[in-house]
Amino acid sequence: MYEELRAEVARLGLTDVEVDFTGCHGFCEQGGLVVVEPEGIFYTHVGVADAREIVDAHLRQGKPVERLFYRDPVSRQAVPRYHEINFYKKQQRIILRNCGRINPEKIDHYIANGGYQALRKVLLEMTPEQVIEEVKKSGLRGRGGAGFPTGRKWEFGRNVCADKKYVICNADEGDPGAFMDRSVLEADPHAVIEGLIIAGYAIGADEGFVYVRAEYPLAVKRIRVALEQARARGFLGKDILGSGFNFEVQMKEGAGAFVCGEETALIASIESRRGMPRPRPPYPVQSGLEGRPTTINNVKTLASVPVIIERGADWFASIGSEKSKGTTVLALSGNIANSGLVEVPMGTSLSTIIFDIGGGILNRKRLKAVQTGGPSGGCIPARIPHTPVDYETLTMVGSIMGSGGMVVMDEDTCMVEVARYFLSFTQAESCGKCAPCRLGTKQMLEILTRITQGKGREGDIDTLFTLARTVKETSLCGLGQTCPNPVLSTLHYFRDEYEVHIKEKKCPASKWQRLPRRPLRK
Amino acid sequence: MEPVTIFLNGREVNGRPGMTILELAQQEGVYIPTLCHEPQLVSPGAACPSIGACRICIVEEERTGALLTACTVFITPGMEISTDSPRVLERRRSIIELMLASHPDSCLVCDKGNRCQLRRIAAELGVGRLGFQKVPQTATIKENNPFIKRDLSKCILCAKCIRVCQDLVVEGAVDYFRRGFATRPATFGDGPLEESECTFCGTCVALCPTGALMEAEPAYRGTTANVIRTTCPFCGCGCGLYVEVKDGRVVRTIPDKEDPVTRGTLCVKGSYGYDFIYSPDRLTAPLVKVDGEFREVSWDEALSLIAGEFNRIKAEHGGESLAVFGSSKCTNEENYLLQQFARCVLGTNNIDNGSRLYGAAGLHGSPETGGFFSTNSPLTALEEAEVILVIGADPTASAPLVGYAIKRTARCREAKLILVDPRETRLSLFAELQLRPRVGTDLALLNGLCKVVLDEDLADESVDREAADFAAFAESLAPYTPSHIEEVTGVSHQELRHAARLFAGAKRAAIVYGNGITQQVNGTGALKALSNLVLLTGNRAAVYALQKESNSQGACDMGALPDFLPGYYPVTDREARRRFRDYWGSLPGTPGLTFPETLREAKAGRIKGLYIVGEDPVSSFPDAGYVREALSAVGFLVVQDLFLTETAKLASVVLPAAGFAEKDGTFTNFEGRVNRLRKAVEPPGQSLPDWQILLHLAASMGHPLPYTSPREVREEIEKLVPLYAGIGYGTLEEPAPESGAPERGAGEAAVYRKHPGGTPRLAPVLNGAGPPKPHEAYPFVLLTGSNLYHFGGGTRTSRAPRLRKFSAAAYVSISEADARRLAVSEGDRVRIVSPAGEAAAVVKTTDTLPEGLVFMPFAIAVNPVSQLFSIVLDPERKSLLNKAVNVRIERIGSDG
Ligand SMILES: Cc1cc2nc3c(=O)[nH]c(=O)nc-3n(C[C@H](O)[C@H](O)[C@H](O)COP(=O)(O)O)c2cc1C
Ligand code: SF4
Ligand code: SF4
Ligand code: SF4
Ligand code: FES
Repeated sequence: MYEELRAEVARLGLTDVEVDFTGCHGFCEQGGLVVVEPEGIFYTHVGVADAREIVDAHLRQGKPVERLFYRDPVSRQAVPRYHEINFYKKQQRIILRNCGRINPEKIDHYIANGGYQALRKVLLEMTPEQVIEEVKKSGLRGRGGAGFPTGRKWEFGRNVCADKKYVICNADEGDPGAFMDRSVLEADPHAVIEGLIIAGYAIGADEGFVYVRAEYPLAVKRIRVALEQARARGFLGKDILGSGFNFEVQMKEGAGAFVCGEETALIASIESRRGMPRPRPPYPVQSGLEGRPTTINNVKTLASVPVIIERGADWFASIGSEKSKGTTVLALSGNIANSGLVEVPMGTSLSTIIFDIGGGILNRKRLKAVQTGGPSGGCIPARIPHTPVDYETLTMVGSIMGSGGMVVMDEDTCMVEVARYFLSFTQAESCGKCAPCRLGTKQMLEILTRITQGKGREGDIDTLFTLARTVKETSLCGLGQTCPNPVLSTLHYFRDEYEVHIKEKKCPASKWQRLPRRPLRK
Repeated sequence: MEPVTIFLNGREVNGRPGMTILELAQQEGVYIPTLCHEPQLVSPGAACPSIGACRICIVEEERTGALLTACTVFITPGMEISTDSPRVLERRRSIIELMLASHPDSCLVCDKGNRCQLRRIAAELGVGRLGFQKVPQTATIKENNPFIKRDLSKCILCAKCIRVCQDLVVEGAVDYFRRGFATRPATFGDGPLEESECTFCGTCVALCPTGALMEAEPAYRGTTANVIRTTCPFCGCGCGLYVEVKDGRVVRTIPDKEDPVTRGTLCVKGSYGYDFIYSPDRLTAPLVKVDGEFREVSWDEALSLIAGEFNRIKAEHGGESLAVFGSSKCTNEENYLLQQFARCVLGTNNIDNGSRLYGAAGLHGSPETGGFFSTNSPLTALEEAEVILVIGADPTASAPLVGYAIKRTARCREAKLILVDPRETRLSLFAELQLRPRVGTDLALLNGLCKVVLDEDLADESVDREAADFAAFAESLAPYTPSHIEEVTGVSHQELRHAARLFAGAKRAAIVYGNGITQQVNGTGALKALSNLVLLTGNRAAVYALQKESNSQGACDMGALPDFLPGYYPVTDREARRRFRDYWGSLPGTPGLTFPETLREAKAGRIKGLYIVGEDPVSSFPDAGYVREALSAVGFLVVQDLFLTETAKLASVVLPAAGFAEKDGTFTNFEGRVNRLRKAVEPPGQSLPDWQILLHLAASMGHPLPYTSPREVREEIEKLVPLYAGIGYGTLEEPAPESGAPERGAGEAAVYRKHPGGTPRLAPVLNGAGPPKPHEAYPFVLLTGSNLYHFGGGTRTSRAPRLRKFSAAAYVSISEADARRLAVSEGDRVRIVSPAGEAAAVVKTTDTLPEGLVFMPFAIAVNPVSQLFSIVLDPERKSLLNKAVNVRIERIGSDG
C-alpha cells in the first residue's frame, strides 16, 4: 500500500506531498490506515486500489474519500477526523506519543518532535541525583508488571558501589496477545533508547542492553537502525554531547520463553545460559548481569522518561490517580468492538475503557467479565464496572495491572474455561525449575480440564484452592507466584459457575465456548 | 563481625552475618527438610546460596507472613522464623503430595529403599493418602551401560545431577530439557548416557535424592548400616570415599563431600571399579610351585620356605643378589616396612617401586638443580589461578579430579588455560590456547617460552639479573628464538608469544604436568626448563605433578628406592644412615639397582632371589617377552598380589594379599596429602594385608621387625621422616573398634605432608637432540596415554566386572588424512610395528590428531601397546621412556 501511494504520488507528479510510513496507530480492528496530515483525515480499511483513489481524489483534487472514513461502531456515523474518533478522543497518548506520527527509522523525525532534548538536558544540566529526584517526584512506576517505583529502583541502583553497572531494557513481552512494547519499539524506538541512556546516566552504568523477543523481527530491525543512528549522532559512545558520560547499548535477542521476561531469567539468558529464574535476594540491583548491579526497566517505563524530563515531574504527576501516575497502555481484545492499543490515564474506569473507547461489546451482548494483566492476571466481574484501572485497585479486586493485557468477555464466556485457558499457557511456559509451579500448575490444569469436560468431582474446588495457594505462596519466581490468579479470581467471583459445572455437568454460560486462541509463541 | 540475632521458633539465637536460615537452624539443631540443597554444589562467590528448586525447606517469617526458603534466604536481624507453623507444614505437605502425584507407586520395590529422601520426608510430614490426582511423568530411557540406569518418572527435578554434571565435574552430559511439566534432566538429544558426554563418574547417582538415578548393576539393593570412610585405591588423586558394607561385603562407594579434593565427586573407577576385590580370581591361600604346578600351602609352610631360600641366597651370594620391587599401590606403612626389610633383613639397596614405570621414581634428588620440582600446593589453590598451564598430561583421563578442577576453574572462574598437547583432548574445549608441539619437543618449547619472557622483559622483578647464573642462563637461551622454536616444534611464534605473555602476566598461575613429560627422552631437562619458567615469573606458580597411582608419591617418600632412604636421604649419606641405624640396625651404603636394572642383572643370572609386592611388570612394563625372560632367570621369585597375575604365574611362591578395603594404612596423593585407608571388610580366605605378611616373613627369617600395627609404623615414620613430622601423621585416627560402628565423619581422614624444601635456581638446560627425525621404516609417531576406564597394567580394572564390560577393544586413533593415505577406515584392523615389536588394533579415525601422529591408550584388558616399546632408561633418572615410539602401520587382510 505504501509502495502504491508513493508510486501514485510520483505518477501524478505531486511535489508538495511526502509519503512516509509510521509505526502502529493502535487501532487494529480497522486494517490498513492512512492519515492525511495536517488535516488529520483518517482512512481505514485501505487496500491497494483504495490508495490510488486517495492520492487522486484527496491529494490532487482536494476531495476526501468519504467511502473510506472511519465509522463509529455504535452510531454508525462517519467520523472523518482522527481526533474526533471516540477511540482516540478519550485516550491520552504519552508513551505512544510518537506512534503513528513519525517515521521510526528516521532519527530526524524523532528529533524534530523534541527527541533527545531530554537527554541533552539531563547530561548538561542535571546531576544523576537530580534526575532520580525528578523521576521519583513524577511518581512513575514500572510498566513491566509489578509497578515498582522507578525512581526508587534507580536510587538503589545508584547507591550500590561497583566498578561496573548495567541497565537493561526488558522488551521480552511474552504475554500472549500483548503487543504494546512491540508497538512502541516499532513506532518510536528512539524514545526507549533515550530513556535507557538517561537511566544509565542516573544509575552510573556505562553499558545497556535491549533484550527483545526474537519473534519481533521488525522491532529488532528498528532497534538496530535506531542504535546505529544514535551512535552516529553521538547520543551513544564516548563523551556523549561533550558531557564526559560514556554509554553503549547492545541488543540481545530473546530465547523465546515467557519466563525470560522475569529479571533473573532474563539475565541468565543474556549470559547465554538457559533462561531460568533464580531465588532473590540477591536482587539484580545488587548482583545481576555478570554479578554486577543491574537495573531492569520495561520498554514503556523507559519511553516515559524523556517526556517526564522534558515536561516536568509535576506535569506527569498531575495525570493518573492517587498512587498510580501517568498513563497506562492497554491491549484491548476479546468480545469488543474496537480492539487495539489504547493509552489512558491511570485510574480511568473499566467502563470508560470498554464502552467509550472500546465501543462496547460486540453483537449487542452483555459484558460478563474483564481479564486484566496478561496470563497471570485475574478476572473482574461486570458487576464492578467502575473499577479504576490502576495498580492498587486491580490488586485489591484480585487481578493485576501486569503488562496491560485486557480481555473483554461477554455473557457467553465460560469462566472455568477462561481459567483453564490462561493456566494452560503458564503451565506450558513454567520453566520447570521449582516444584510447586511445575507440578502444581499441571495438577490444577488437569482438574480444570476435567471440570470443563463435565467430569468435575466433589472436592475439586477445595483442591483447587489448596493448589492455587501452594503455588502462589511457595513458587520461586513471579510466574508461579501469579499464575494461579485467573483460577483464584474466577473461583472468587464465579464460584457458582464452577459448582454448576461440577454438580450439574453443564456450563451455565449459554454455550460451551472455547476462548479464541490468540497468538501464542511457537 | 557482629552476630545477627533472630528468633527461631520463638527462641533468640545468634548467627554469623551471611548465614542462611537453614545454616543457622542446623547450627541450632532445628530440623528443616531439604531436597535440592547441596552445599558443595554452590560455587564459591555465587550470588545464591542454593538453587531453591524444591521449596520444601520453606519457613514462615512471622512478622510478615511470608514463606521463605530457608536454604536461600540470609538471616537479617530481628527475623522471626517459624520452621513448623501449621501453614508451613501444610504447604510442605502439598508440595510432597504434588511430587508423589507424579511419582510411580513403586516405593516398595524401589532399590532406593530407605535411602530415598522423598519417602523419608513424606513419612516425616505424615503424608499418606494422596489428595491429588495421579499425573505420571513418562520417562523411560533405554540405557545400555553397566553403570547407571535412569528412571526419570521418579525424578523430582532437584537438579542435583544437572548441577554436579555442569558445575562440579563439568562434563556437561545432562541439562534441563523442555519446559513446563515435561521438564527433566536429559542428555543432548535426550539419548542414552553412553551416547553423551557422560563419563560415568557416578556423582549424580550418589546425589540423587530419589530412585531416579541408580546403579545399573547394584551389588546390594537395600540400605546399609555400616559405612566406612577410606580412600580410593586407583589413581594419585586419592579420593576420599565411603564404602558401604553389607554382610561383610563392600556393596557401594559414595564420594566424600567434605574432602577438599573429592568434593563429593569421583570418577568411574572410584564409583564402579571397587568390585575387583570380589573377582573370582582373588587368591585365597599361599601357593607354592611344585613341578610347574601351583599347590595351596599353609602360611607357615610358605613363609618358612621363603625365609629359608632368602637366607640361603643371602648367605651364599650376598645381599646384592637379592632384590625387592615394591608397589605404588601399597600403603606408606607397607612400603616403609618393605624397604626396611630389603635393607636390614635382606641386606640390599636393590629396592624400587612401581612408579619407576611412569617416571615418578626418578624425579627426586638434587634440589640444587630443581630436582624437587614437584607439587607445592593443595589442589584447592589451583582453583584460584588466573592462568593454568597443562603440559604432558591429560588429567581428564589420568587424574580425573584434577581434570574437574581445571575445567571448573576455566569454565566457572574464567581462568585461562594454556594446553600443551599434540593431541586434542577433552581439555581442548576449555583451552584459551592450545600449543601442539611435535612429540618430544617440549624442552625446546619451554626454553622458547623462557626466551620470550626474557626478551619481552616479562620476567618478575624478583629475578636477580645481576647474578652470575642469570647471565649464563640468558646466554644459554640465545638459540631458542621464536623462529627456531617454530621450526623445531611446529608451534607458531605468535602462539608461543601469546602463551608466554599470558603466563608471565598472571598474578596467580598454576602448572599441571604429568608423565607426558617425565616419560620422555630428556624429561629431566624439560622439568628443569619448566622450573626455570616458574622462577623467571616470580616463583609463585602453584605446581602440580600428577601421579599415576594411588601411592606413587608415598612409595617414593617411604624410600622404596634404590638410592634414597625414607624422606630422600641418599643411602650414601653416612649421617643419615646412622639416624636410621639407631632404629633398624645396620644397613647397606651403596645404591642399589632400579627395577629395570634388576631385570638386566637377572637376565644375566646375577639376581638369585626377587620379591615382588603388588606389581605385575609382565603386564605393565614394555616388552613383556623380555620381562618374562628376565624373571624366569631368577632362581627364586616370590610374588605377593591379589591375583594370579602374569608375573605371579612365573613365581616359585605366591602370597595372597589383602585389597584396599581389607586393610589399614595411608596413601599419599599427588598433592602430598596423606589419606587414611581403613579396613572395612575381612580379606578373603587366608589372604593377609601386605604389612602383616612382611612382619611374618621378617620374623620367619629370624629378624623380627618391632611393630604390631600400621599405627606403630606411622609413629616411627613421623619420628624419622621430617616430611611427615609434626603433621599429626602418627596419630591419624584409628580404625573403628570391633563393634563395626559406622565411621562416617569420625576423626581426621587426612593431613598434608610437608612439601620438600630445596631452593631451585635458574639453570641452563640444553636440548641436545633437535626435532625427532622421521624414520623411513617407521614413519609415524605413536603416543600412548591413559584411558579413563582402565588403569595401569589393568590388573584390577580388568577384574572389575562393570569396567571390563564397558572396555573397548584395543584401538589406535589415526588422523583422517593418515587413514586416507593408508587406505584404512574406522573399524579396520591394523598391525602396528615398532623397532621393538608389534601389536594389532582396530582403527578409530579422528580429527583430534595431527598428521603423522597416532595414539593408542594404555591398559585395555589385554594391553598390546606395551609390546611396541623396549625397555629404555632415561640416563639421568633411570626411568622408563615409554611415552612415544616410531611405528609403521600395516593393514591386516588388505582385501578388507
Ligand atoms: C514470568 C514473568 C514474565 C515477565 N515478562 C516481562 C516482560 O515480558 N516484559 C517486561 O517488561 N517485564 C516482564 N516481567 C517483569 C520483569 O521481571 C520486571 O519486573 C520488569 O521488567 C521491571 O521493569 P519495570 O520496573 O520498568 O516494570 C515479567 C515477570 C515475570 C515474573
Ligand atoms: S515459579 Fe515456575 S517459572 Fe518460576 S522458577 Fe518456579 S518453575 Fe520456574
Ligand atoms: S534425576 Fe535425581 S538428581 Fe537429577 S534432578 Fe531428578 S531427582 Fe534430582
Ligand atoms: S555420571 Fe558424571 S558425567 Fe555422567 S551424567 Fe552423572 S555427573 Fe555427569
Ligand atoms: S532445599 Fe531449599 S528449596 Fe530445595
